[in-house]
Amino acid sequence: MKQIQMTQNSSFSLISTNKIIQMSDVWTSYDSKTFALEGINLSIDRGTNYAIVGQSGSGKSTLLKLMNGMMIPSKGTIKIDYVKPNMNNKKFKKMMHTIGYIPQSLGLVKNITVLENILIGALPRLNTIQSLLKRFPEHEIQEAKRIISLVGLSGKEERKAYMLSGGEKRRVAIARALMQKPTILLADEIVSELDHVTAHEIMNLIADAQKRMNLTAIMVHHDMQLALEFANRVAVIKDGHKILEIGVEGDNIVDFQTGDLNTEEIMEMYDNDPKK
Amino acid sequence: MTPKNNIVIGIIVALVVIASYNVDANPIEFVEGLPNLAIIVEEMLLVEPKYIPTALWAMFETIQMAFIGTVVGTAIALPLSMFAARNLNSKYVYAPVRALLAAIRTFPSILWAILFVIMVGLGTFAGVLAIVMYTVGFVAKLQYEAIEAIDSDPMDAVSSIGVSKWQLIRYVVIPESASHLLSQILYMFDYNVRQTSILGLVGAGGIGFYIINYIKFFEYGKAAVFMLVVLAAVLFIDWVSVKIRDKYIVKSQHGMAVSAK
Ligand SMILES: Nc1ncnc2c1ncn2[C@@H]1O[C@H](COP(=O)(O)OP(=O)(O)OP(=O)(O)O)[C@@H](O)[C@H]1O
Ligand SMILES: [Mg+2]
Repeated sequence: MKQIQMTQNSSFSLISTNKIIQMSDVWTSYDSKTFALEGINLSIDRGTNYAIVGQSGSGKSTLLKLMNGMMIPSKGTIKIDYVKPNMNNKKFKKMMHTIGYIPQSLGLVKNITVLENILIGALPRLNTIQSLLKRFPEHEIQEAKRIISLVGLSGKEERKAYMLSGGEKRRVAIARALMQKPTILLADEIVSELDHVTAHEIMNLIADAQKRMNLTAIMVHHDMQLALEFANRVAVIKDGHKILEIGVEGDNIVDFQTGDLNTEEIMEMYDNDPKK
Repeated sequence: MTPKNNIVIGIIVALVVIASYNVDANPIEFVEGLPNLAIIVEEMLLVEPKYIPTALWAMFETIQMAFIGTVVGTAIALPLSMFAARNLNSKYVYAPVRALLAAIRTFPSILWAILFVIMVGLGTFAGVLAIVMYTVGFVAKLQYEAIEAIDSDPMDAVSSIGVSKWQLIRYVVIPESASHLLSQILYMFDYNVRQTSILGLVGAGGIGFYIINYIKFFEYGKAAVFMLVVLAAVLFIDWVSVKIRDKYIVKSQHGMAVSAK
């Protein structure tokens, strides 16, 4: 169990000023009557391994969808690498090419092969003719093969996606995101339904990629323990509010808001989680 | 059964009786006409086998017409369906395309055939054009409905990468709707063969031309040969369609018969 060390806010926030995600007073609604998120403030430093945890229905997936511009806040502002998300903005459209997003449902194309699914991540680098004829340049195919072996799918390149197991499907989704040469990786509960060993294997894979490519990984988790183990920052969401944000450095956990939480209290918030 | 149901059934029966009176549909005439049917059947039994080669050739022509109509019609329908799907286009694009397709579908193929006979003259070409039009109207509708039914997860995930619309169509829309397409084409071909068989009635070619002419001259025995050939051909095509469906479509949808590689 990790130890809690009380520290001032400043000791963490002064280190880096390069913010890749900034949200201030963000409200979102699916039906314009109720709000899924209510006044979220958060900022994420470039290169962070960030985790979002919370109970089912708390708004984790919604928060992630804001970070790639698939959802627009009803109120408040969000900046992704200092740009306001907007599909009609050329600069943002270009940015989308390098935001790897793995939705909770994975979003694989079922009737095409593993290799083709992964090559989709390279489509923004191809011209229209090449992509319509499925003429991928040799170096892209080599890169796809390299990623396939990285995620442990060698030999399954030609399998149709619907013929894969749940864990294999997750690996394909990760590989597609890595194929984008991402600067930001958004992953929504991709290990929640997996056994402990496979979950750790996949988390290590992402942690490696995150360090090697200096990418900002933002991952939604159900399991607080897993978040503390892999992330260096953890935000806790409850009923559309961010109720807690903690930093993890080695074995130390730092609460950024109150500074007076202990591990027991953090874990307690998880004991009333029905999914656990 | 509730009293309310009884009233509804009573009203429906009353409406059928009134409508029958209005259109002169008299069951007594049907019973009185039965002996005539016996005569026709009797004459039909005098099948004249020497017409079989002609009938087979006419059926072959009919199948070719249906084949061209189905292939060309589908080729025109596919791009149209991409513009008619609500999940791929803005209202200003899909609304007019859907209106056009709806207009095409209001005509049964036999009316298209009359129109094309007037335009390009009697013969098989008018029939082919009629089948093309009919196929465009229906395959496009079936296909845009299939596109709209595609799972939104891969659509959203791939769009979020910022790919172009053509890339989205090539890598998500086509693969995810292709299995429907094959079964629609088979269904349409099957249906078109039957439709083409009657286009001869208005002089648009095909085996129906022979059937209507022999019937006109009360040569039921000859007509019977042609009708039997149509029956055999339709059954055969049906059987082949089922085979193809089992082999390619059922498998891809349920993941049966996974090869052991
Ligand atoms: N497409 C949608 N339409 C309407 N409401 C939605 C939609 N998606 C989510 N919501 C609502 O928004 C709230 C937050 O949902 P969200 O999916 O962000 O939760 P979550 O924390 O990801 O939950 P889970 O752990 O179950 O995935 C919930 O109340 C949910 O009912
Ligand atoms: Mg969720």
